[in-house]
Amino acid sequence: MQCGWLQSGPQLWLSCVHRQVMVKAQGEEHRGWLLTVDPVSRSVVLLDLRAEGASVRVVMGHAVEHVEVLQEADQETLERIRSFFVPQETLSLDPEELQRRRSGVCGWLQKNLVPVEEDGNELRVAGVLTIRAPYGAEDCSSSNQIILDRIQRLIQAQPDPRPEPDPGQSGITSIH
Amino acid sequence: MATPVSVLRLPKGPDPNSRGFDPSSPRFIALCRTSIPTSAGADTEQLLEEQHARSVLRERFLRCLLAMSNKKVHFRMHEKVNVEATFGASDIDVLNFQVSDLHTPIGVQKEALIRCHDVISLTFEV
Repeated sequence: MQCGWLQSGPQLWLSCVHRQVMVKAQGEEHRGWLLTVDPVSRSVVLLDLRAEGASVRVVMGHAVEHVEVLQEADQETLERIRSFFVPQETLSLDPEELQRRRSGVCGWLQKNLVPVEEDGNELRVAGVLTIRAPYGAEDCSSSNQIILDRIQRLIQAQPDPRPEPDPGQSGITSIH
Repeated sequence: MATPVSVLRLPKGPDPNSRGFDPSSPRFIALCRTSIPTSAGADTEQLLEEQHARSVLRERFLRCLLAMSNKKVHFRMHEKVNVEATFGASDIDVLNFQVSDLHTPIGVQKEALIRCHDVISLTFEV
């Protein structure tokens, strides 16, 4: 299936995502699963899945000559592609753990004289920054870069208050 | 292991900024359009759809760039030049890449700026 790639826009590119495509660029031919197309530079990002790992190829927009969609991904391949974008610690935390984390981060920020309040499942800092689950430095979002940077650094500096959940892995050994 | 070479100072061209980075030079303006214009025109609904598609695609691309940072990246450039470097950052318009430890045929450059227009494709391991 061929599409007028170079002339089309973001909507077509979005519909081709997660399909296998063949890209011709400056005498090279590459195949891979389409991860995304950058709307700013038209760069095509392909994922090459192998048995033991994967590699990503970015073909710069100015070099792309021809793109052809080859096939759809099956369920297993789709899962592997999706796992590329999902961050490491995903939503595998239960509500209790999330509550504990939320209170922990809230307390730490308050200790550092930062105006923060709980807003449902999120934390609101000074009315301009939001922290979503699981309340790490990467879960902060704000339109103010300075506050974002400060709060991210603060969260990264937070000492880990929790003891090891698994007693077998405790770092304390007792000598009898 | 190759020792880093000292920074090369290439001779200056006729213009004050002839190395291709000056955003107001005619070459830059001709080659490096900073974004793709919209095709939706005055149709609000289509515009919204297009904006949504743009933001989803751009976010995924930015995550790819994040995944690349501090990793070894192989660049395939013009004239069959293949180099390897540690990826640092990209600028907002994806026109320049900042890399470290660039292995070139004449030695290792500790820090370098690569023009995206000189790159055909780049690869990295996930």
